[in-house]
Amino acid sequence: MKTRLAILFLIIFLAVLPAFAGKYLLYVTIHILLLSIFSLGFNLLFGYTGLLSFGQAGFYAVGAYGCAKILLVYPSLLVGILGGVALAGVASLVLGVLCIRHTRIYFSMLTLSFGMMIFSLAWKWRDMTGGDDGLVGIPRAPLEVPGVFKINMAAMESYYYVVLGLSLLAIYLFQRIIRSPLGLTLQGIRDSETRAACVGVSVRKYRLLSFTIAGLYAGLAGALLPPLESTVTPPVAHWSHSAEPVLATLLGGIYTFAGPIVGSVLFYLLKDIIVRFTEYWLICLGVIVVVLVMGFRGGVVSIFLKEGSRR
Amino acid sequence: MRERKRISRRTFLKTAAAGIGGMTLGLKGIEASAQDKTPAKAKPARKALGVDVIKLGGQGVISGAHADYGWQIQAGATLAVEEINAKGGVLGSKFEVKFMDEELKPAVAVKNARYLATEWGAHLLFGVDSSGSAMAVGPILPELDRICMFVHASTHRLTEELVADKGIKQIFRIAAPVYQEGNLAALIFKEFPNIKRWAGIHCDYEYGYSAWALFKDTLKKYRPDVEFVSIAWAPFWTMDFSSHISAVMAANPDGIHATPWAGEGVMLLRQALMLGVFDKIQAWFQCMGGSVDILEGISREVEAGKFKNKLWATARYIHNYPDTPENKKFVESFRKRWNRFPNYSAENAYSTIYVFKAALEKTRSLKTADLIKAIEGMKIMTAGGERFFRPEDHQAIYAVPGGRVVIDPKYPIPVLGDLKVFPAQAYYRHPPFEPLKMGK
Amino acid sequence: METLAFQGLIGLSVAMYLWLLASGLTIVFGVLGVLNFAHGSLFMLGAYFAFTFYGLWGVNFWLAIALSLLSVAVVGYLMERFFLRHIYNQDHAYQLLLTFGFILIFDDAVKMIWGGVAKIPAMPSFFEGTVSVVGRPFPVYNLFIIGAGLFVAVLVWLLFEKTWWGKMVRASASDREMAGAIGINIPTLFTGVFAFGAMLAALGGALGTPVRVVAPGIGAAMIIQAFIITVIGGLGNLKGAFVGALIVGTLSAYGVLLFPVFELFLIFLIMAVVLMIKPQGLFGG
Repeated sequence: MKTRLAILFLIIFLAVLPAFAGKYLLYVTIHILLLSIFSLGFNLLFGYTGLLSFGQAGFYAVGAYGCAKILLVYPSLLVGILGGVALAGVASLVLGVLCIRHTRIYFSMLTLSFGMMIFSLAWKWRDMTGGDDGLVGIPRAPLEVPGVFKINMAAMESYYYVVLGLSLLAIYLFQRIIRSPLGLTLQGIRDSETRAACVGVSVRKYRLLSFTIAGLYAGLAGALLPPLESTVTPPVAHWSHSAEPVLATLLGGIYTFAGPIVGSVLFYLLKDIIVRFTEYWLICLGVIVVVLVMGFRGGVVSIFLKEGSRR
Repeated sequence: MRERKRISRRTFLKTAAAGIGGMTLGLKGIEASAQDKTPAKAKPARKALGVDVIKLGGQGVISGAHADYGWQIQAGATLAVEEINAKGGVLGSKFEVKFMDEELKPAVAVKNARYLATEWGAHLLFGVDSSGSAMAVGPILPELDRICMFVHASTHRLTEELVADKGIKQIFRIAAPVYQEGNLAALIFKEFPNIKRWAGIHCDYEYGYSAWALFKDTLKKYRPDVEFVSIAWAPFWTMDFSSHISAVMAANPDGIHATPWAGEGVMLLRQALMLGVFDKIQAWFQCMGGSVDILEGISREVEAGKFKNKLWATARYIHNYPDTPENKKFVESFRKRWNRFPNYSAENAYSTIYVFKAALEKTRSLKTADLIKAIEGMKIMTAGGERFFRPEDHQAIYAVPGGRVVIDPKYPIPVLGDLKVFPAQAYYRHPPFEPLKMGK
Repeated sequence: METLAFQGLIGLSVAMYLWLLASGLTIVFGVLGVLNFAHGSLFMLGAYFAFTFYGLWGVNFWLAIALSLLSVAVVGYLMERFFLRHIYNQDHAYQLLLTFGFILIFDDAVKMIWGGVAKIPAMPSFFEGTVSVVGRPFPVYNLFIIGAGLFVAVLVWLLFEKTWWGKMVRASASDREMAGAIGINIPTLFTGVFAFGAMLAALGGALGTPVRVVAPGIGAAMIIQAFIITVIGGLGNLKGAFVGALIVGTLSAYGVLLFPVFELFLIFLIMAVVLMIKPQGLFGG
C-alpha cells in the first residue's frame, strides 16, 4: 500500500512538472526518462541474466535511425516510434542469436563488435544515414490515429507527456516481466547456468528472450530521441554511448529494480551540473565509478537498503 | 554472481522515496543554479537595452587533438569583451560570456545551446567548432529564438541549405567556409601548368568530402588537363598517417591537397617529411595550415627549409593580412593579453563580439528578430578585413589569401608569404546553390 | 607490385605499435585473468611521459624512453596494488567497470596536467632520413620501429621461456592455486606482471611520441584496437597477439590503399567472426 502511494506521488509529481519547470528542465527530464528506459533494458540483461553487453547503443541507434527515416517520409509519431522499436527488436533478435551462445568476456567483446559495426555503418553509409552529418530536419510529428485524433507536438510540454506516458508503460511492463516466471528463470540462469539447465530450462532460449527485450527497450529509448532533437548522428551507436546505461545502472544499483532509474537520474544530473562549473567532468565520473566498484557495488540504492550491500 | 535480490515492499518504498527525494533535490538544484543566472531585471529607464548584463553563450572544442581551437575562440571573445566593457559596454550594459565544451559531439553541442539559451539566459549564441555540431544546432535556433554566430564550422551546408534553402534566419556565419579550402586552392593552382596530377589526403567526414569535391570541381573547370590520381581517407583519431601518405604517393602525384587539421595536421606533415614526400612532389596544399597551432608545430622544420618552399596553406584569417591598423591593433592586443598569435578562430570570435555590439547599437533592442535585421546586409570593418553579411545565406564575405609557409624575420613563427590574394567574390559560391556531389 | 610491398612494409611498422600495445594486455589477461580496459590509457601515458622528458626537459631520447617506462610502471603498480587486487574474486564485469573508470580518470588527468592541446616534440635527429625500398623512400624511423618491435618480441619470448621469473609467471597463469601452494608469492608476482604489461604499453606510446599524435583521448581510441588484436590472436596468447597485431596493422594499411570504404566495419566484422567461430582466437587452446 505504501509502495503504491509512493509511486503514485512520483507519477503525479512528473505529471505536473511542466506547470512549474522551465523548458530546459523538461528537456533534461525527457533525457533522463530516455536513459532510464535504456538502462532498465540493459539491466534485464546484466543484473537479472548476468550478461554484460557493451553494444546496446547499437540497438538504440537502430531505433533512432529507424524512427527518423520513417518520420522523414511519413510524419506520424506513433508510426515512427513503433517502427523504430520494431526494427530494434528485429536487430536484437538476429544479433542475439549470434551473441548468446557465448558468455562473460566473450559475450561482452562480441556485443562491443556488433555495436561498433552498426556505428561504422551509420558513419559510412551516407546515402542511408547521412553519414557523419546524420539525419537532419526530423519533424516532431503529431501524435495521431487517423480518423480518431491528432495532437500537435510542437510544444516541448506535449512531447514530454508522450515520453512520460510511454516511459511509465515501459516501466510497468518491466515490473511485470521481472515478477513473472520469465524473470525468475532469468535470475536462476544468472545464478547457476548448470542448475537451470538440469531443471530443464532452455538456457539459450531465455537468454535470447532477455537479449531481445533489452534490445526493444534500447530501441524505444532511441526512437524517442529524433522527435526531441530533430537530428540523429552516429555517436548514438558508439561504444561510449553503450557505456552510459552501464554506468547509470552501476551508480544506481545493479541488482535492484529501481537501480537503473535512480542511477539514470543521478548520472544525467551529475553530468549536467558538473559541466557548468568545470570542463573536467570525466575525472569526476571516473572517481565515482572507482569508488562505487571498490566499495558500493550495490550502488546508491544499496546505501539506502541495509540488505543490499552484502558484497 | 551469487547474489539474488528479492524486492520486498519495504525496500521498494525506501528506494522510491530515495528516488523522489533525490530527483526533487536535483531538479531544485538545477532551478536554483539557474535562478541566480537569469538576466537581471530591468532597472527603470536606466539602460537602453533594459538589462545590466548582455549574456553571450559560446561553445567550442576544449580537448582532444583539436583543443586549441576552443581555447582560441574563448581567448578572442574574452579579449573583445574586456575591451568593450572597459569602454563602458554596449549602450551602458556590459557583456558577459559563458563558454562550454562541445566535445566535437552534436548531441552535446545541442544540449549546451539549449542550456545557454533557456537556462543560463544567453541573449546571443556563438561558437561551435565542428560542422556536425553546427548542422545539429542550426535547426533548433528558431525554437530557442536566438541567433547563433558560427565561428568555425566550415560546412557549406550550414548556409547554403539551412539558411538559403530552409530559411533558418537565426544562423549567421562569420568565418570563411570550405570555399577557402576548395575554391581558393583551385584558383591558386590553376596558375601552375606543371602541376597536373593531384592526390588528396582527407578527413573521412563531411569536411574532407566537401573540401575535396569543391577543389576538384573548380580546378577541373579551369584546367581540364589535370587528373585526380589518388585519394586516402583518414577518420577521426588517426594518429599515424604513414599508410595514407604512402598510398597516395604510390600514384606519383605532382600535388597533394590535405584537410587533416590541428594536431593531426602537424603530424601528417611531419610524417610526410619522413617519407621524403617533399623531394618528390611540387606542391602540398595544407588547407588550414595557416592556423597558428600548425605553424607553431612545424616551425623547426620550416626553419630548416625541409619543406623546400613547396608547402602552401590558407586559413580563415591570418594575422599578417590585411595590413590595416585594425588588424595590427588586434594582433598586438591579443599577443599582449595571451602571449600568443591569434588563430583564425580567435579573430572570428573577437570580431563576432564586435558585430554583436554593432548590431545592438544599431537596433537598440535585444529581440532576435530585430538583431537578425541588423546583421543581415551589415558591412563592418573587422580585424580580418571588411566583412559583408550576405542576406541570401547570412554568410560573411571577406577575402583571406593563400600562400607559401615561409620564415619572415618580422615574426617568431612561420607565416604565410608569397600571398595570392583573390577577391572573395571570385571564390565564394553564390546562390542559387547546387548541391555538391560528394562521392568517395 | 612494389606498391603492395611498400604498403605492406608501412603496415608492418604500424603493426609494431599495435604489438607493443596488445602484448601487455594479453599478458595481463593470461596471467591475472583481468581484461584491463585502461590499457590504452597506459599507452597514452607512456607517450605523454616521453614527451615531458624528451620534448620538454630535453633529456636524451633513450633515457627519456626508459624514464617513461619507469613512470608508467609506477602508475601500473598503484593501479594493481591498491585497486585491482581487491576485486580479483569479483565478477569480470566489475573489473571491466573499474578499469573503465580509470580510462575516464586518465583522460582528464592528462588534460589537467599537460593541457588539452596535442603535444609536438622535436624529431630526434639521428632518425631522420630515408632508405630506398623498392625504389621509394622509406623512413628510417619506421625501420627503427620495426626493429624495436621485433627485438621486444624476442626479448619477451626469452623472458617467459627461459628465465626463472618467466617460469613462475607461466606456472601461476596455468594454475594459480598450485603455484601459490609451492611457495610463489602470487600477489607480488601479479603486481609485477601488471607493471610489466604497463611498461610494454608505455613503450609503444613513448616510441610514437616524435611522430604520432599525442592528445587526450588517444588511449580510449587505442584500446578498441588492442581488444580486436587480442581477440583475434587469443586472449592470453602472446604469439597470438603478435600475429593479431600484424594482421590488423597490415590490413589497415592495405585498407587505406585498396578498399577505403568499409575499413572500420571490416575490422569489427573480423573480430566478431573470430569470436563466434573460435572465441579462443587463432592461437588459443
